[in-house]
Amino acid sequence: MRIFATYNIKGGVGKTSTAVNLAYLAAREGQRTLLWDLDPQAAATYLFRVRPKVKGGAHGLVTGRRPAESVLKATDFENLDLLPADFSYRNLDLDLDDAKKRTRRLGQLLTGFTADYDVVFLDCPPSISLLSENVLHAADTLLVPLIPAALSLRTFDQLKTFVAESAKPRPEVLAFFSMADRRKRLHREVIEAFDGAAGVATTVIPALSIIEQMAERRAPVPAFAPLSRAALSYEALWAEVRPS
Amino acid sequence: MTRPARAFQGVDEGRLELDAVVGVLADRYTVEAGRPRTVRRRRLDTFDRRLRAAGLTLEHHSEPRARRVVLDGADGPSTDAVTGDLRWPAGAEVLRAGRVRDAVAPVAGIRALLVVSDERHSWRQLDLRDADGKTVVRVELDEPLAVVGGAGRVTVRALRGYDEHARRVDRLLTGLGLRPVEAGLAGLAGMPDGDDLADDVPAPVAADAPATALLAAALSGFLAVMRANLPGVLADIDTEFLHDFRVALRRTRSTLRWGREVLPAEFRSEWEPAFAGLGALTTPVRDLDVYLLGLPAMSGWLVAADATDLDSFGRHLTQRRAIARQEMVDGLRSARFRRLLAGWEGALVTLGGRATGTATGTERSTSAGVLGGRVLARASRKVVRDGAAIGAGSPADDLHRLRGRCKELRYALEVFAPVVDPPPSRRVVADLRGLQDVLGRFQDADVQRRALREFAEEMLTSGVPAAALLAMGELIAHLDAEQGKARREFDQAFTRFVRPSGRAPLHRPGGDT
Ligand SMILES: Nc1ncnc2c1ncn2[C@@H]1O[C@H](COP(=O)(O)OP(=O)(O)OP(=O)(O)O)[C@@H](O)[C@H]1O
Ligand SMILES: [Mg+2]
Repeated sequence: MRIFATYNIKGGVGKTSTAVNLAYLAAREGQRTLLWDLDPQAAATYLFRVRPKVKGGAHGLVTGRRPAESVLKATDFENLDLLPADFSYRNLDLDLDDAKKRTRRLGQLLTGFTADYDVVFLDCPPSISLLSENVLHAADTLLVPLIPAALSLRTFDQLKTFVAESAKPRPEVLAFFSMADRRKRLHREVIEAFDGAAGVATTVIPALSIIEQMAERRAPVPAFAPLSRAALSYEALWAEVRPS
Repeated sequence: MTRPARAFQGVDEGRLELDAVVGVLADRYTVEAGRPRTVRRRRLDTFDRRLRAAGLTLEHHSEPRARRVVLDGADGPSTDAVTGDLRWPAGAEVLRAGRVRDAVAPVAGIRALLVVSDERHSWRQLDLRDADGKTVVRVELDEPLAVVGGAGRVTVRALRGYDEHARRVDRLLTGLGLRPVEAGLAGLAGMPDGDDLADDVPAPVAADAPATALLAAALSGFLAVMRANLPGVLADIDTEFLHDFRVALRRTRSTLRWGREVLPAEFRSEWEPAFAGLGALTTPVRDLDVYLLGLPAMSGWLVAADATDLDSFGRHLTQRRAIARQEMVDGLRSARFRRLLAGWEGALVTLGGRATGTATGTERSTSAGVLGGRVLARASRKVVRDGAAIGAGSPADDLHRLRGRCKELRYALEVFAPVVDPPPSRRVVADLRGLQDVLGRFQDADVQRRALREFAEEMLTSGVPAAALLAMGELIAHLDAEQGKARREFDQAFTRFVRPSGRAPLHRPGGDT
C-alpha cells in the first residue's frame, strides 16, 4: 500500500483537485484506491457527491470506537473508495492530542487498510498542525502543489524545513507547479528556474477553467473530459509519481 | 463489509418484465441506464470445482470490443481486462498479473481452468442515483439469449457504505414478485463435471448386507472416477486427471485383492491382471509428471549450480513424457481398453445384482461387516509385522514393501471403515497417515535418486553440457540427505502407529485371521 498526501501550508493551491484526479486515475488503472478527506471543508467529499456525514465523527475514528471500514463510501467509480470528512474534522487536532501516540495515530489507522487498498491519498487541510505531523509520519510521498510565484516558493522552503526537522520516518517530498499560467512572466521564469531541480516534478498542471468546473460537475476531470488538456496533465503527473 | 451481490428471478422461471423493474426503481431513484450489451459469458472453474468450493465465480466475458475476466467472491467483484487471446482450458498463469490472477491462482493450484458453461447474455447496467446524483446502488439486468423464455436475472450490487439502499431495492424487487436466487447455479456444459461425482455417492451399505454389495458399490464408484477423468487424461488438460484416474485405479486393484474370498473367481483371474496392465500403461507418464512438477522445487535445492543448469534436464523430461504419453494415449484409445471398461461395468452390474438378488450359496453368506473386520485386522497385522521386522540394517526394499502395505491398509480403511464396529479411531488413521508420509518421503527420494542417475546416463549420450549433469549430482545429494532424514524418522512414526504396547491397532481380540 502506497500512501500519498497532497499537502501545502497554503490554502487554495490545488491540493484537493490533485488528490481527486490522481486517485481517480489510480483506480482507473485497476489499483484499489482510497481517498481520505481530512479537511472539515469536505471539498473532496463534495466532489464525489458523498454527503459530509461521518457516523461517530472524527472523534469516533481517532479513538477507535468506530472502525474506519464502517464509514467508507464507494464512489461512483470502480476501485475508488472515499473516507469522507464532515465538520467534526475541525476538532481532529484535539482528538489526536488525546490519543496515545499523538503523532502516529493516523498511521496506525491506515495500517488497518493495508490488505484492502493498493494506493491511498490523503487530502489535507492547509495548516501546520498535529494532523500534518501525523501525515508526515504516515505518508510515503508528500505531493506539494506550488503556484509558481516567489511567495509560494518560500512556503515550500518552510515546508521542507518542517519535514527535515520532523522525526523519522519522513516522506519523500515532491513538489509540482499548479495553476501555472504561461502568460504570466513570473510564472514562466519560476518554472524555468526550477527546470530539472531535485524534488520538483517535471509535469506542470496549468491553470485551466475545466479544472474549476469540477465543482459543478462533481466529478474528476478525466471522468467528464477524458481528452482535455487538464486530464492529460493529471495523467502525466500520475505517470511521474505512480508506484511502478 | 459490503453486502454481497444478490440476484433475483421471476417466479416459475418466467420472463422478466424489465420495464416493470425499471419503472418501480424510477419511482425512488434517478435511473441511469447503460446501453444494452451482448456478452458471451464463459464460466471457468477447475475440473474439481475448486473455485466454487472457495466461494469464487470466475467468468470470461467477451463483447465485440471488450474482453475481461470477472471474479466474484466474498470481497465483491473484481475485473481485469484480457489482453491477447485466451484459450481454455489453460492454467491460471495465463491470466494477466493482477488481482484476479492473485485470487484465482492459489485456489486453482496445478489444475487447469476449463469452461463449465458458455452462454450469450443481453446485459444492461442501471445506476440508481440519489438526490445528489450519487450512485447508491447498481442493478444489472441480465437475460440469456439462447434460452427460449429463459430466466432473466436482476442482480443488485450494493455499494460500500450504501447497504441500506441495496436492501431497499431488494424489497422493491420482492414487491414486484421476484424471488432471490442462489448465485452460481448456471447450467453446465462441455466437460463432464468432476464434482457431480460427489452428488451420486452410492447409498451406504449396511454392515449386515452381503460383502459383495459393498464391493460392487465401492468398485462402481472408482469406475465412475476413472471414466470422469479419462477425457482430461486424453486431452492432457492438467496432470491431475491422470493422477486421480490412477488413484481410482489403485483403489480398484486393492479392493479386488481384499475381496478375493467373496468375489467370483474371474475377478482374480481376469480383472486383476487387466487392471495391473492399465497401471503399467499409465505409470511412466505419471512418474515423469512428478519430476516435471518437482523441477521448480528441485532448482531451489541447488547450492553451487545455477537453476538454468537444469534446463536440459527439463527438456529431456519433456521429450520423454511426450513419447510416454503417446504410448499411453494409444493404449487408452484402443479397442482393447474400451472393451475393458465396458466389460468391467457389466461385471460390476452382475456382481451388484447377485448381491441383492437371487443367488444363493456361500458367496452370499459373508456380510460386509464380517469381511471388513477380517480385512482390516489382516491388513493392519501385515503392517505391524513388516514394520516390526525393520531394523537398522534393513534394505530400502523392505521399507518400500512396508509402504505398499500401508497403502493397502489405507484403501481397505476407506472401503471398510463404515461397516466395522467399533469404527477405527481417528487417531489410528492419523498415525497411519504419519507413517505413510515418512515412508513416502523415503521411497520417493530413493526412487528419484535412482531415476536421476538413469536420466543422466541417457542424457550423456546426447551430448548434454557438463553443468547439467553436475546440477543433477547436487539433486542426488539432496535426495540422499532427504532419504536419510526420513529413515531416521521412521522408528518414531512406526512406534506411534503401533501404540499402545505394540499391539496391532485394528486387530481386535477374537477377530478372524
Ligand atoms: N489547475 C487549476 N486551474 C484552475 N483552477 C484550479 C486549478 N487547480 C485548482 N483550481 C481551482 O482552485 C480552487 C482551489 O483548488 P483546490 O480546492 O484544489 O485547492 P486546495 O489546495 O485543496 O484548497 P484548500 O486549501 O482550500 O483545501 C478550486 O476552485 C479549484 O477548482
Ligand atoms: Mg482542499
